[in-house]
Amino acid sequence: MFSKLVERNSKRDRKNNGLYFGSMIISIIAFYIILSLSHQDVMLFLKKMESDAVNRLFAIVPIFYGATLVMLFFLVYFASSMQMERRKHEFGIYLTLGMRRGKLFSMLLLEDFRNNIIALGIGLPVAVAISELISLITTKIVGLGIISHRFSLSFMAVLFTVIGFLAVKFVAFIFLSGKTASKEIGELITYSPAGIKKMLPKGIYVLASVLGILLLAKTYHYGISGEAWDSPRNMGITVILGGIGTVLLFFGMRLIIGVLMNFGSKRKLHTYNFRQIQELVINRSAVLALCSLLIFSALCLFGAGVAISVNSASNREHVLDYTFKDENLEGGKGIDAGKVRKQIAEAGLKPYFSRIIEIKIGDPKDEGKVSFENIANELKDSKDSKNREILINNFEQLSDCQLISLSGYNELRKAANLKPVDLREDEAFLYMGRDFLIDETLMNNVVKTNPQIKVMGKILKITGDVQSLPVVTDREITLAEALVVSDNIFMEYTGGRYSSYVSGILAPDFVKEKGLMRAISDINEKLNETLLKYESYLQNMGRQLFFIISASYITIYLAIVFLVIANTIIGVQFLMGQRKSYRRYQTLIHLGAGYETLCKSSEKQINWYFGLPIAIALVNSFFGVQSLFTGILPSGIKVNMAQELIIAVLMILLLGVFEVIYMRIVKRNSNKYLLSLMEPKREE
Amino acid sequence: METILRVESLKKYYGKEPGVTKALDGISFQVIKGEFLGIMGSSGSGKTTLLNCLATIIKPTDGLIQMQNQDLSRLKGGQLADYRGKEIGYLFQNFELLDNLTAKENILLPLALHNVDERESKRRLELLAGYLDISQLLNKFPSQMSGGQRQRVAAARALILDPEIVFADEPTGALDSKNANTLMQKLSAMNEMENTTILMVTHDSVAASFCNRILFIKDGKLFHEIRRDYPRETQEDFYRRILKVMSTLAGGDLNVF
Repeated sequence: MFSKLVERNSKRDRKNNGLYFGSMIISIIAFYIILSLSHQDVMLFLKKMESDAVNRLFAIVPIFYGATLVMLFFLVYFASSMQMERRKHEFGIYLTLGMRRGKLFSMLLLEDFRNNIIALGIGLPVAVAISELISLITTKIVGLGIISHRFSLSFMAVLFTVIGFLAVKFVAFIFLSGKTASKEIGELITYSPAGIKKMLPKGIYVLASVLGILLLAKTYHYGISGEAWDSPRNMGITVILGGIGTVLLFFGMRLIIGVLMNFGSKRKLHTYNFRQIQELVINRSAVLALCSLLIFSALCLFGAGVAISVNSASNREHVLDYTFKDENLEGGKGIDAGKVRKQIAEAGLKPYFSRIIEIKIGDPKDEGKVSFENIANELKDSKDSKNREILINNFEQLSDCQLISLSGYNELRKAANLKPVDLREDEAFLYMGRDFLIDETLMNNVVKTNPQIKVMGKILKITGDVQSLPVVTDREITLAEALVVSDNIFMEYTGGRYSSYVSGILAPDFVKEKGLMRAISDINEKLNETLLKYESYLQNMGRQLFFIISASYITIYLAIVFLVIANTIIGVQFLMGQRKSYRRYQTLIHLGAGYETLCKSSEKQINWYFGLPIAIALVNSFFGVQSLFTGILPSGIKVNMAQELIIAVLMILLLGVFEVIYMRIVKRNSNKYLLSLMEPKREE
Repeated sequence: METILRVESLKKYYGKEPGVTKALDGISFQVIKGEFLGIMGSSGSGKTTLLNCLATIIKPTDGLIQMQNQDLSRLKGGQLADYRGKEIGYLFQNFELLDNLTAKENILLPLALHNVDERESKRRLELLAGYLDISQLLNKFPSQMSGGQRQRVAAARALILDPEIVFADEPTGALDSKNANTLMQKLSAMNEMENTTILMVTHDSVAASFCNRILFIKDGKLFHEIRRDYPRETQEDFYRRILKVMSTLAGGDLNVF
C-alpha cells in the first residue's frame, strides 16, 4: 500500500510539475556535458600538445560545476517549497489519519528519490548521446577526421553528475521537510488564500523606482566607460550597484503596473490581468529581479563566448604550415631553402609540400638608429582614440627595428594569394605583427601620407599599405614593428648579418583530402624521422582551438544553466500561483468567463510575467555586452559592427528559443489546469 | 404574472448502476418575476446540485430548465458564458471576491467579462453602492473589509448587470447573525424596490423568513412548499412555520399543517 502511494504521488508530482521535472533533466544533461569535457575527441587531441592549458581548464571545471550546483540548489529549494505548500493540506490529512511524521518523511523522501532516479534515467542517456554528438561535430568542424572518433563514456562524469544532483536534491529536501514537519496539523489543513501584502505609501515605490533607475544608469556608465574593469574594487561596486538597482526597480514596479492598468484598453479582464501580474510582482519582486539578473548574466556570457570564438576564428591569418630550424644555430642561421628542400625530398615528402619559402630578417648594423618620429607625428594629427594613444606611445619609444628582405616577403605574399610588390631603393613598407596592429585603418591612413623615417641617418619613405603577414608559423614569435626593404638595401643595412627563416606550405589537395589538422599531424610523424627540426602550425591551431572550445563550452554551458534556472523559477512561480488562486478562476467561471477568455487572460499574464524580467535583462545586457567588449577582449581583437550584429542576433536567437519553449510549456500547463477548473468539484 | 424560470422533472444522477446516487430526482417548480424564493433542506439533500444545474455549472442528467422560455440545454460555449454573467447573478457563501481586486474592480468585473461599457453602468454602480451601503468601501481591497461588507460587495457584483435572477448559495453561511440580518434586509429591499428575482439556497431559518415562498428538498425530491401570507402573516410567524417544517423534515411527516 505504502509503495503504491509513493508511486502514485511521485507520478502525480511529475505530471503536475512537468516544467520543473523537465528542467531537472536539462540540468543533468548540462552537468554531464561539462564534466565529460575531458573525454571529448578535440580535448584529447589538444591535450597532446597543449597539456598545460588543457589541464588548467580541467582544473577549473569543478569550480563551475560547484557554482552551478549551488544555483541549482536554489531552484530545487524554491520549486520544491512551492510543491510542499501545495500539498500541505494532503500532509495534514495523512497526519490526521494517524500517519507518523517519520513515516510521512520517509514517504516524501522515497517519492523524491523515485523522481530523481527517473530524471537521471532519462537525462544521462540523452546527455551521453548529446556529448557524443558535440564531440563528433567539433571533430568534423576542426578537421580532425571522423576516423579518430571513439565512443567514450566518462564514468567520472556520470558519477559526479549523479552525486551532485542527488546531493542537491537531498539537502533541499531535508531543509523543506524540516520546515513542514514542524507545523501543526491545523496549520497544514486550513486553506490559506494567496493574500495581499500590505501596501506601503506610494512615495516609497516612486523613490525605489527612481533610485533603481539612477543606480542602473550609474552601473551602465561604469561598465561602458571601462572604469569597472580598472580594479576588482570597481568591478565589485559595479556589480553591487547593478544588483541593487535591478532589485529596487522591480520593487517599485508595482506602481508602473498600476499606471498601466488604469491606461490601456478596457478589454476583457484587463484590470484583472494587471492585478494578477501586480500581485505576482509584489509578492516576488526580489525573486523576479534575481531571475532577470540570471537572464542578463546568461546573455552576457553567451555574447562574450561568441565574441571570443568569432574573433579568434576570423582574426588569425594562416599562410605557413611549417617553419624549419637548425637546432644548433640560433634563429635558424645556417639553414636555407636548399637544405630544407633536399631533406624533404630525401624523406619522400616532396609531393606533400607546395612551397618552401625563405625569409631573411636582420637588424640594422648600428643599433638605436631608427626614428619613427614622423609616423608618431602623423598619428597625433589623426582623430583621438584609445588605440591612437597606444600607437603614438609605441612609435615614440621605438628606436630600433628589424628589417625584412623584399624577395622573401614577396614569396610570402604569393603564398597568401597576394600580388608581389615592388620597392625603390629609398622606399620601405611598414611591417606590423597582427597582434600589434590594433587599428589597421588608422595605420593605413598614416602610411598613405608617405611619412619619412630615418634609418642609420638615411631617409626611407614609407609606401603602400601596412604589411602584416606572419613571417614564421609560430604565432608566439611575432615582430612588433619592422621595415620591409629592397634586397640591396637589406644587405647594405644589415651588413650581411641576418637570420633565415625557412617555412613550408602543404599541398592544398592533400590538406583538402585529410583536413588540416590530420594532414599536419601525419606529416609531423614523418618529419620526426628526419634530421629537420620544425615548428608546425598545429600548435597555433591547438591554441586557437583551445580558446574557442573552452570559451564557448564554458560560456554556453553557464548561459544555458542560468536560462534554465531563471525560466523554471518564473514558470513554476506562475503555475503555482495560479493553482493557489484557483478559487478566483472558479469565481470568474461563475461570473460568466468562458474557457477561451480564461486562457487568453492567463496567456496574457504569462507574457507579461516572463516579459518583465526579460525586457529588463535585455536592456541590461545591451550595456553589459558593450562593457564586456571594452573590458575582457584582448586589445588586439576588435569587434566591428557586423560582428556585433551577429552576436546580438545570436543572443536574441538563443533567448528567443528558450522563451518560446518555456512560455509554451507554461501556457499549455496553465490552459490544461484551467480546463480542469471548468468542471466543478463538490465542495462542502 | 411572468414566469422567469421553469424547471421540469430535473434529474441529476452520479455514478453507474447499481451504485448510482440520485442527487436530484425529478424536481419541478417555477419562479415568477419579482419573487424571493428560498430552497431549504438538510446537507446532501441536493440543494447545491440544484443551484449548480440552474447556474449551468453542471449538466443535468435529464429534465428541462427554461429561463424566459429559453431551454438552457441548448446553450453552447459563448451563449452559456453570456447566460452565466448576464442573465443570472451569483452570490456565494464565501463571497468569492477576488482578493487582489478592489471592491469597485470586483463589482465591475462582470462588465469586463461581457464587454459592457463601464460608463453605462456608472449610474447603476452608484445606485447599488447606495442601497447596499458600500459607497465608502469602493477603493478598498477585500482584506480591508469585514465579512458583512464583503458579502454586500459580492451582492453588488451579482446585481451590476441587472440580471433576470440572482442565485444565492447560503449567502449568510459565513456571517454572524447581525451581519446576516443586515444582508437579508438589503436583499429583501432590493427585491421589493427593484423587483429583483432572487432564488436563495439556505440552511438558516432566519434568512429564509425573508422569502416569499420556500421549497423544501429531501433526498433529491421536492418534499414540501410553504408561502408567506403577506402582509397578514408577520415575518416572525413565517419563521415559526419554517422551523416547524424543518423539525419534521427528519421525520418525513408531510401532514404538518
